[in-house]
Amino acid sequence: MEFIQSAFLDFSRNKGRTFLTSLGILIGVMAVVLLTAFGLGLRAYIEQQFEDLGSNLIRVVPGKPLEGVNFSNPGSFITIKFDEKDVQNLSRIRDVKIIVPVYSKTIHMVAGNHKESSTVYASTGGIFKVLNVKAEYGRLFTDQDVDKRSKVIVIGQTLAEDLFSSAKNAVGKSVKYEGQKYTVIGVTEKKGGGGFGGPDFDSFTYMPYKTAYTFNTEKTFMVIIIQTKTEEAIKPVIRQADKVLLKRYDTDEFSIIQQEELLTAINSIFGIINSVLVAIAAISLIVGGIGIINIMYVTVTERIKEIGIRRALGARKSDILIQFLVASVILSLIGGLAGLAVSYIIVFFIQAYFPAYIDLNSVLLAVGVSSGIGIIFGVFPAKKAAELSPIDAIRYE
Amino acid sequence: MIQLKHVWKKYQIDEDVVFTALKDISLTIEKGEFTSLIGPSGSGKSTLMHIIGLLDKASEGEVLIQGQNIADLSDDEISTLRNEFVGFVFQQFNLINKLTIKENILLPTTYARKNLAYDPSSRADEIMERFGILEKAHSYPNKISGGQQQRVAIARSLIMSPSLILADEPTGNLDTKTGNEIMKLLAQLNNKDNITVLIVTHEQGIAEKTKRKIQIIDGALL
Repeated sequence: MEFIQSAFLDFSRNKGRTFLTSLGILIGVMAVVLLTAFGLGLRAYIEQQFEDLGSNLIRVVPGKPLEGVNFSNPGSFITIKFDEKDVQNLSRIRDVKIIVPVYSKTIHMVAGNHKESSTVYASTGGIFKVLNVKAEYGRLFTDQDVDKRSKVIVIGQTLAEDLFSSAKNAVGKSVKYEGQKYTVIGVTEKKGGGGFGGPDFDSFTYMPYKTAYTFNTEKTFMVIIIQTKTEEAIKPVIRQADKVLLKRYDTDEFSIIQQEELLTAINSIFGIINSVLVAIAAISLIVGGIGIINIMYVTVTERIKEIGIRRALGARKSDILIQFLVASVILSLIGGLAGLAVSYIIVFFIQAYFPAYIDLNSVLLAVGVSSGIGIIFGVFPAKKAAELSPIDAIRYE
Repeated sequence: MIQLKHVWKKYQIDEDVVFTALKDISLTIEKGEFTSLIGPSGSGKSTLMHIIGLLDKASEGEVLIQGQNIADLSDDEISTLRNEFVGFVFQQFNLINKLTIKENILLPTTYARKNLAYDPSSRADEIMERFGILEKAHSYPNKISGGQQQRVAIARSLIMSPSLILADEPTGNLDTKTGNEIMKLLAQLNNKDNITVLIVTHEQGIAEKTKRKIQIIDGALL
């Protein structure tokens, strides 16, 4: 108790010095906590995006996207395209609930004087179920629209506002693309997203895939999304789909990805990037620690006589050691807690733009690391103080 | 109570220059004595006091405190002995300026390893009252006079109920009148409280006030 009191007494007498020394730790802790908060926020954001997509989904894609691009992996260069035959073959697998082929293309559409570019998802009516998309105005297209090759589209709200100035007015209007006219039959509910590299669903255009054959002349698909009837069916369906596709393609020409797998892969990539950033930020903590060690050496020198007096009055070496260790830990903790407080404020204001958040682990990390730095960087000056000869110390002027 | 047997203290000043501060000192101080150690400056009297007070170690010879050879004790045991057995009074007072008078007086009790038979705070109050510094309890050392500071230092030396008080030039920084008051106080501690008192001084007048005089010149006893 006496040590803690004495440490605070000392800090209040040297406010400027205490502030500057803890500033080093403050900045270090802040850098680590903020980067962790951003990492956590990004992860939560990605998970949210995936949750919006419905469950029990399997994606069949060309190549080996999850294995990365490298020269020993030719799959990353070969791009096959799927066609209706694949869709038919896959749809015969047991426990497949919905099968959704997707062709996508960025097109420039015109409505009156407005010209906008948009990503078109050409698919079946099932796309709305697997992507969890609902109509805000008008209706979504159905499989009948697909079979009839109806020239209809469903567009996102942002896109509708850009083309027709109001989302409500968009229904019934038409857009032109490559000489063809398409009628807007529906506007989707706002989904948010975009801005962080994720897809902006509100600027999408959905179209029956057979209608899109006018510009998808090869009649191919980039992705086939399969929804299984149950979660248990996911693995068997993947095995069956693999068998079916191997009849037409080589094993490294396509991948069957479970939604969760994709999420895990993305998370692990972001996890690595984030860890590297946090590790770099941690260097500033070491710099802060050097500030502590410096100031503690100065403090020990200033207080040599006091150390001598305390030793003469019966203080053991360990008493002196603890006194200075407590001081450096408190100094470092002040910086750590202040860093945490500043991080909280920054996260609070940034949350409007970015889903960053500070979790309990970050708090424990900040407190733990700053106490640890206090001990590690305080122990050398404290040992120096403890090892002083009492008589030399008390005579020191 | 304290016994020194052929104690030498040598300092290695340079590679081949050795300074001998104490030469073959043998002396015994019995319980209840009121003794002065007198010698001119540089005579080695402070060094001798530091060895008796366990602040310094002899280069050769034996130091026995209550029959125990301190060479056999660990640094922690010596610290405990300093805490419980000895009370120091210095010429420079050596109070800690950032602590209040009362906190200074209580400082030795924060290092106590044994359970004290009394409440430190009320004992400090008693001693301050006896020394006439109670109203200064919450002042800081640099706000009170030299005489008062020395009373605080003596109060601090008494808080652990020591058997021995070592006073190194206790009147050296004080005027004669205040110095005499401090000497009276030390004499009182000896005859009323039955504490062994050893005063180090270079002033004959101070030494005259003690019951026994030990003279030291050039590191040797006369």
